[in-house]
Amino acid sequence: MRVFSRAAAEDDRPLIERVRRGDQDAAKELYERYFDRIYNYVYARLGRAEDAEDLAIDTMTRSLTRLDLFQDQGVAFSSWVYRIAHNATIDHYRKQAKASLVPLEGAILPQSADPSEIALDRIESEDLRAAVRELTEEQQQVLILRFFQDLSAAQAAEIMGKSIGAVQALQHRALGSLERTLISRKLNEH
Amino acid sequence: MSTELQRLERLAERLRSLEPALPSPQARIRGLNLALAAVGTPQAARRQRPAGRFLLALAAAGAVLIVGTVAASADALPDSPLYPVKGLVENARGLLLFSPADRVSYHLELAGTRLREAEAMFGRHRDDLAEQALAGLAVEIKDAGTDINSLSASDLQAATQEEGRLEEAIQSHDAQLAGLQGNVTNPQALSAIQTARDRVQQTLSQTRSTVNSKGNPSNSGGRAKGSGHPSPSAS
Repeated sequence: MRVFSRAAAEDDRPLIERVRRGDQDAAKELYERYFDRIYNYVYARLGRAEDAEDLAIDTMTRSLTRLDLFQDQGVAFSSWVYRIAHNATIDHYRKQAKASLVPLEGAILPQSADPSEIALDRIESEDLRAAVRELTEEQQQVLILRFFQDLSAAQAAEIMGKSIGAVQALQHRALGSLERTLISRKLNEH
Repeated sequence: MSTELQRLERLAERLRSLEPALPSPQARIRGLNLALAAVGTPQAARRQRPAGRFLLALAAAGAVLIVGTVAASADALPDSPLYPVKGLVENARGLLLFSPADRVSYHLELAGTRLREAEAMFGRHRDDLAEQALAGLAVEIKDAGTDINSLSASDLQAATQEEGRLEEAIQSHDAQLAGLQGNVTNPQALSAIQTARDRVQQTLSQTRSTVNSKGNPSNSGGRAKGSGHPSPSAS
């Protein structure tokens, strides 16, 4: 069961107004509302707790101190925070000069492999997380937002700057890529 | 053989069932301290106070804010020319705090500030200023402990609660100080960090002992971590 409530269910606007007036209690409440979610999002992308903590802290600090910029975005605060986290993750990868993208959309499923043979319940959680991190940037993002963060397609669409239909199509392709990745990993074990 | 749609739906369900990764408590506290420090103007967010106190605080804050450099000094580091102004503002804030709980919050906040300053100064190879900041950290923690000790004389339950906050802050600071020790090579700096850690732990130990002795006069030798109430066996 997810521990994160749906971001859109909570109205952040009164808190945001209070933070703009320098109210630290409101800043604390917003921080507590989003920090764990953002950490979870960044951890899913990076897979390293220490880096994820630093980036989540950086994201929350930027979000709470640059509310003047948020005013002009025309999106929910939650979406804005996720966008900052996303950009921070990309920056992190650039700084680390890591080849984070391993596009698998064109990957060919081995003839001998039967997708229905994947025993999902036997896949370790960390292996599943690692397989997600092998997907393309957008595929990772859509799976994390929809299934790790439990956001609706509409919320994911707003964060990613896409239409709901595009997100649903991307999600379908991402799941297909993930399945192929899991099969490849399984074959490589033997 | 299952259809593609069924397989992908099962895969989606498996993803949903993954336990969420959660940050460490230390990271939560560190992040909160940094975020709140960045938001600034802490006096605006204090608990609601009676109108008289509020007006007094407002007047005093207004007088201080006349100095144009005050705002710019909020983030000043020890190597900045504005740093003395920051100290004045901090002292002025301290004068406006009346309840022990507010004073504990104030000292814990300043302890966090001193720690961040020390980290920044080590990063700039200003070990002398970093050591001063570390000494300031120990002083703020000690002042918080003193306020808790005073509080324990009148309100043991509140003192126990504040002691929990002190302990939480010290755990977080100690983890950061340990991290600093791993990044510093200068023996004098290493010694200053260790001294700060020792002094902070000493304050915690003394505060625990005092609060415990107030709650349980027959046992002043400390108590189990996290137990905020007198032992039933003492009665």
